[in-house]
Amino acid sequence: MNRVSLYIDKKNCMGCHACEAACKQEHGLGVGPQLVRVIEKVPQFIPIYCHQCGNAPCKRACPVDAIVTNDLGIVLVVKENCIGCRECVPACPFGAMQFDEKTALALMCDVCIHRLAEGKAPACASVCATHCISIVGTQKKTAAVFERAAA
Amino acid sequence: MEAVTQVRTVCRSCHGGCGVIAHVKDNKVIKVEGDPSSPISHGTLCAKGLAITQLVYHPDRITHPMKKTDAGWARITWDEALDTIANKFKRVIAEYGPESIVVSQGTGRDYESHLYRFANLLGTPNVLTAGHMCYVSRVASTLITCGTLPVADYMGGPKLIVLWGVNPLWTNPDEYKGEVFWQAYEKGAKLMVVDPRKGFTAEKADLWLQIRPGTDAALVLGFHSVIIEEELYDKEFVANYVHGWDAFKDRVKEYSLDRVQEITWIDKNLIRQAARMYATTKPAAIHWGVPTEQTNNCVSYTRAATGLMAITGNLDAPGGNALFVNPPTRTVAEFAQHKALSPEQQKKRLGGEQFKLGARVALINPKKAWDAMLTGKPYPLKAGILCGTNPVVTRANAKEAYAALSKIEFLAVIDFFMTPTADLAHIFLPSGTWLEQNHIADNWKRHGYVLARQKAVQVDECWQDHKIFMELGKRMGQQWWDTVEQALDYLLEPAGITWEQFKDKGYLRGEMVYHKYKQRGFSTPTKKVELYSTIMEKWGYDPLPKYVEVPESPISKPEVAKKFPYILDAGLRTPTFFHSANRQVPWLREIREFPIVEIHPATAQKHNIAEGDWVYIESPRGRIKQRARLNEGIHPQVIVAEHGWFYPEMKEDGHGWNISNVNLLTDNAYETLDPAMGSTNLRVCLCNIARCDDA
Ligand code: SF4
Ligand code: SF4
Ligand code: SF4
Repeated sequence: MNRVSLYIDKKNCMGCHACEAACKQEHGLGVGPQLVRVIEKVPQFIPIYCHQCGNAPCKRACPVDAIVTNDLGIVLVVKENCIGCRECVPACPFGAMQFDEKTALALMCDVCIHRLAEGKAPACASVCATHCISIVGTQKKTAAVFERAAA
Repeated sequence: MEAVTQVRTVCRSCHGGCGVIAHVKDNKVIKVEGDPSSPISHGTLCAKGLAITQLVYHPDRITHPMKKTDAGWARITWDEALDTIANKFKRVIAEYGPESIVVSQGTGRDYESHLYRFANLLGTPNVLTAGHMCYVSRVASTLITCGTLPVADYMGGPKLIVLWGVNPLWTNPDEYKGEVFWQAYEKGAKLMVVDPRKGFTAEKADLWLQIRPGTDAALVLGFHSVIIEEELYDKEFVANYVHGWDAFKDRVKEYSLDRVQEITWIDKNLIRQAARMYATTKPAAIHWGVPTEQTNNCVSYTRAATGLMAITGNLDAPGGNALFVNPPTRTVAEFAQHKALSPEQQKKRLGGEQFKLGARVALINPKKAWDAMLTGKPYPLKAGILCGTNPVVTRANAKEAYAALSKIEFLAVIDFFMTPTADLAHIFLPSGTWLEQNHIADNWKRHGYVLARQKAVQVDECWQDHKIFMELGKRMGQQWWDTVEQALDYLLEPAGITWEQFKDKGYLRGEMVYHKYKQRGFSTPTKKVELYSTIMEKWGYDPLPKYVEVPESPISKPEVAKKFPYILDAGLRTPTFFHSANRQVPWLREIREFPIVEIHPATAQKHNIAEGDWVYIESPRGRIKQRARLNEGIHPQVIVAEHGWFYPEMKEDGHGWNISNVNLLTDNAYETLDPAMGSTNLRVCLCNIARCDDA
C-alpha cells in the first residue's frame, strides 16, 4: 500500500533535538508528549516517530475505533472519540504513540498536514541541519494529501 | 485582534547568526521559523533558537529593573536604577579612579561594541569577558601570525574538513553553522576529527584522532614534523610568505612522532597518515573549537595551526581557510572608541604587563579581577556591571569567583533571569532577548557578513543591552546617540545605507577575494605569515609555538594523580543549552533534565557505577555530582563532564550553583594560564569519581 509518512534517515541523525523543539512549537505542546524524539546512544542517535503503519497496531488496539485511517491513508487519532484508555500507547512497536496528560487523550504525529497543504515541509524536517527528515509516499499520494488538506 | 505579521530577523541564542522568521500577533511572538533565505543557516534552526518563545514569555523572567533591599528584591523604575548605578560609579571614580570599575560580558555577543564604548569612555581598561579563552584569543593569536582570523571556507568546496575539537552540528561554531559544514561533507569532502570522545562526527570521520585532552598543540607540531620531513609543504609559499621558517623547522624537530605519540596518546602511524592526508588533499579546511584555546597552550596551538594552513597553501584559498573581508560597515573597534582610552589608563589594565597579547585585544583575565576584588591589589575593584554573564558557573575555580563577586562593594547585573551571579547583585537590569532588539548582528565575526536583526516585539520594560549602555553612558556624561537606531545608522554609514534600508536588505556581504596576500602581503610587521612572531619576541615571549604539559595531569602532577587518577575533560556540550543559559526552558530541559558525565564502561564497572547513577566527581578543588552515561568512545582514563549547570528551579539564593557546577573542579592559578594571552585552562584537570548513594 502506498503510504504517506515521515522518514528519518537514522544514519545521519546527529542528535541535535531540533526536530523535537520544532514539533512542540508547531503543535503547541508542553512538557510530556513527544511526537518525535531522539534517543541518545552516543555516538548513535535513534529517532522515534510514527511510521504510519499499514495495518496499524495502535489502531487495532483501540477499543473504541478512535484511531482511523483517513481516505488519504493517514492514520490519525480522532480526538472526539478517544476515551483516554492508553491501550494504543504500548501497542505501537516504535514507542511513537503519545499520551497528553493535560487533555488525557492519545496523541500522534499528524505529518504536519497543515504545513504540507501550504507546500511547506513538516516542522521537524524544516529545521534539521543534516536534512535527514523527509516525507515518503508515492508522488500521487503525497499530492493528494496536499490537495485535500488544502481544501 | 491583529493578523499575524512576519518579521525577518536573526537568532542569538548562541553567538547567533541563523536567520529567523518571527510570527507576531498582538505584540507577541507566537512562533519562530527558520529563514530559508539566510546565507548562514538556509532555513535550519537548532533547539535553542526554536525554543526562544518559552524563554521570552517564561514566568520567571524579570521584566523590570529591581534593587536589592533588606526585605529582598524590589521593583524600581529605569530612572532610579540607572541613577543609582551612575551615582555609585561617579563616587568610585572620584575616590579610586575609573579603573576600579569592571565592565563585563560573558560569551561573545554583538553588544560588545556598545559595552566597550561605555568602558572606554568611562576610562576603565578593565573589561572582563570570555574572550581571553574563547574566540578573541583565536583572533589575537592569528592577528599576530597572519593578520586576521582564518575561517573554514565551507562554501568554497573543501575536499577535506578537519574538525579540531568542535562539533558544528551541536554547538555554536562562530562563523558558519552546522548546516553549511554538512553540505560540504555531503558533497564528498573527507572528514578528519580530533576529539577525545567518539561522537557523531568522529563516527562519520575517515580519520578519528582520539587525543588526550589538552595536548592539541603537541599534535599540531607533530603534523608539522611529518609535513616538513616528507617535504609535503608548498615550497613557493614558504619561500615567499613565511617569516622564520628555519627557526620554526628547528623547533619542530623537537617534536618527533615518538614524542608526540607519547604526549597525545595517538598512534604515531595514525598521526603520520593524518598529516599526509591534510597536506595532500586540497583544498583542506580546518575548523577549530574552543577546547584548543582553553589551555595553557592557547596561543601556541592557534599559531601552529595557522602555520599548517599556511605552509600547505590552504590559507586564504578557496575551500581552505579564508581570510574573509567584512562588509564596509564601521568596525566594532572604531565604534568602541578604543582610542579614547588614554595610554595612562591603558597602563593600569589589570595583568596588562603580564598578558600582553590579552591587553592588545583589551581584555583581562578573570583571576586578576577576582584578586583585585578580594585583596585590593594592585588596586581594588569597587564596582562592576555584568552583562549576560554568569561567572559563578562559567569561570574556572568557581568558589573564588563566588567569593570575589560576593565581596565587591557594588554590582549591577543585566540578564533575563535571576542567576547565581545575579543573586549577588545590588541592581538588576532586565535585558531584551534577540526578538526584542534592532542590531547589526554578527558584525564582530569574521565570515564576511553582517545581518539585520530586527525587533519583533517589546516585552514589558525590557531594554536591549545596547540601549542600556547608551542610557547609562549618557548619565556618565558620555557622548551617545538619541536612539538605538541612530547608532546603527552610524555603524552602517561607510556602507552607504541606513538602518531602515538595511532592514529590508537583510544582510550585507563583504568582497569575496582569495589570495589577497599576493597583492598586499599579510597584515603583520613582516608582511608574511609569522611562524616566528616578531611581536611575541618584542614582548619577551617565546616567538615560536611549543607544547607545555597540561598543568595538572598524571605527567605534570604524579603525586596529585595518586588520589585523582582520572583526566577530567570539563567541557562536554549539549545541543540544548548555551553555556549556563537555557536551563529554565521547559522544552529544552525535557530533553536534558540533568547534567551528564560520560564514563567508559570499564571504568564505570570498576566504581560500581551504572548508566543513570548520580556520580560524585572530585578534584583537588571541590566535589560535584552529575549523572552517569556510559560511553565506549572515550579513553578509560578520561572522564567527560558537562559544564554550565545550575538549577534555576531551586528558588533559594544560589540556585544550586554548587551542586553540579564543573568549575568547582577546575583551576585558575596563574601558573596554569597561557603566558601571553592569559587564557584559562578551563578544560582539563585531574579528578576521581565515586557512585553517589545519597542522591
Ligand atoms: S533535527 Fe535531524 S539531526 Fe537533529 S535530532 Fe532531529 S532528526 Fe536528528
Ligand atoms: S511531521 Fe509534524 S507532527 Fe510529525 S513529528 Fe514532524 S513536526 Fe511533529
Ligand atoms: S545555532 Fe545559534 S543562531 Fe542558530 S538557531 Fe541555534 S542558537 Fe540560534
